[in-house]
Amino acid sequence: MITVSGLTKEYGERTVVDDVSFALEPGTVTGFLGPNGAGKTTTMRMMTGLVPATSGTATVDGRRYDQLPNPGAVVGTLLDAGAMHPGRTGRTHLRLLATAVGVPPSRVDDVLAAVGLADAASRRLGGYSLGMRQRLGIAGALLADPPVLVFDEPVNGLDPEGIRWMRDLLRGHAARGGTVLLSSHLLGEVEHTVDRLLVIGGGRIVADGPVAALLGADGVVVRAAQPRALAVALEAAGFHVERRDDGALVVPDAEPAEVGAVAAAGGHVLVDLRPVQRGLEDVFFSLTSPAA
Amino acid sequence: MTETLTLSAPRTDVPVRGTAPSLPTLVGLEMRKSTSHRSGRGFAAAAMLMGPVGLALAALDAELGAVSGPMGVTAMMTGLVMLALGVVSTAGEWTHRTVQTSYLLVPRRGLVQTAKVAAVALLGAAFAAVSGVGSLGVIALVGVDDLNWDGWAQGLWVTVAAGAVFAVVGAGIGAATANTTAALTVLYLLILGVLPLLRVSRPELGDAVDPAHATMLLGQGMAEQRSILILTGWVLVATVAGWVLTKRRAVQ
Repeated sequence: MITVSGLTKEYGERTVVDDVSFALEPGTVTGFLGPNGAGKTTTMRMMTGLVPATSGTATVDGRRYDQLPNPGAVVGTLLDAGAMHPGRTGRTHLRLLATAVGVPPSRVDDVLAAVGLADAASRRLGGYSLGMRQRLGIAGALLADPPVLVFDEPVNGLDPEGIRWMRDLLRGHAARGGTVLLSSHLLGEVEHTVDRLLVIGGGRIVADGPVAALLGADGVVVRAAQPRALAVALEAAGFHVERRDDGALVVPDAEPAEVGAVAAAGGHVLVDLRPVQRGLEDVFFSLTSPAA
Repeated sequence: MTETLTLSAPRTDVPVRGTAPSLPTLVGLEMRKSTSHRSGRGFAAAAMLMGPVGLALAALDAELGAVSGPMGVTAMMTGLVMLALGVVSTAGEWTHRTVQTSYLLVPRRGLVQTAKVAAVALLGAAFAAVSGVGSLGVIALVGVDDLNWDGWAQGLWVTVAAGAVFAVVGAGIGAATANTTAALTVLYLLILGVLPLLRVSRPELGDAVDPAHATMLLGQGMAEQRSILILTGWVLVATVAGWVLTKRRAVQ
């Protein structure tokens, strides 16, 4: 388990990460969202010891990152796809990492094939596109098949096929019991990949919970063959009903079962009945806007 | 020692070392890093060829009657090239941001810096040895018939040592500045520009701090004790500065 407790980073008078705490459980993909400058990258760098924290701790299975005997075997990290020497080839880059992390050189060809870069392995990194660098960075993170993956904006530069591949990779990793922390500004992508959301704004965690809970809102959307009659029945039962332009009725502060019961009692034919869902974008902006 | 990782992990059949890499492993890794790109290989080639080629060209215009003088120049020239190898090995990591990966995989920065210093010292010594042997060969070929071989052994070992010493100085200053261009500019401007001028205007001060001049004198068997002290001082100051500043710097 990864535990972050009271992590804070101050640069002079400015606090860029303020008392951030969360825990990441095995078997989950956690999305780390926030606007630019919210503190996502600094938090990830403090977790991995690259940036010293002003206060607070981050541990992996009870140990600080720099106390892990072989960190690359436990945490696969991709924080900056540009952090590669442009004069090295893809294969050389990975072979150097393989020596540092302690895996056989043959593993390099395995991960190159896994990320679809086998044919480009002999080319210098200076000629790689951003998407290819992202894939190579992911290959480096996967060398030891570590239980934890920490990726900062991993889908930047990936084409739609690459994004789907990434989603499958992360979901598959979590399904095997792995832990994934993923930051991204592509809200739609995050929504389809993660189980849980951490939202950071102004250096503070402003939301932390399962995706369904954060995206869900109190209330029910219902469509009926005779919407006007159903609205009357619901109001008679004490519910407040809002009528939408598309004919749907929104019943705030209600559960689907309650609305269904009213409809059944009145013999109303329903064509749709579901909890109100907010888009991730709505949630994101409501939580991270300065007025929030 | 093998340590069992207890984190709830995905099932994997990838054999992974459970411990941190040993210092010899890291030294080997850093040596491979330094020679894994064109600039590193270019510095190596320049260091190995500069002495012999320089002496061969010099012989076109002058007679080489003794070994010690030319070998002192070879030692100095080879050392100055190895300065760049050292700078690139440390500052280059910050310039290309690969230091991030280095510290993610080996968070003990002191260990990484120690490995880098050892790696460039070994490489510098090895390349300088080739340069020194090649230079001796060239002198033997183009020198006068009754060539004076006095001091050839000292010239050779000083060349080898200069390769290591200047590479270590470069690694230290590179780590301290974390900027390849700044480190190279400051070092070469200082050693090739400011210090020679200082030796002209204030010889007692210039002679006491100029590492290139000290290397040349040492290679020629002159002012040995002072030259060794000057070079030791450069190594100590650069290494401590690099070590201290690297330990404290955030990787952004």
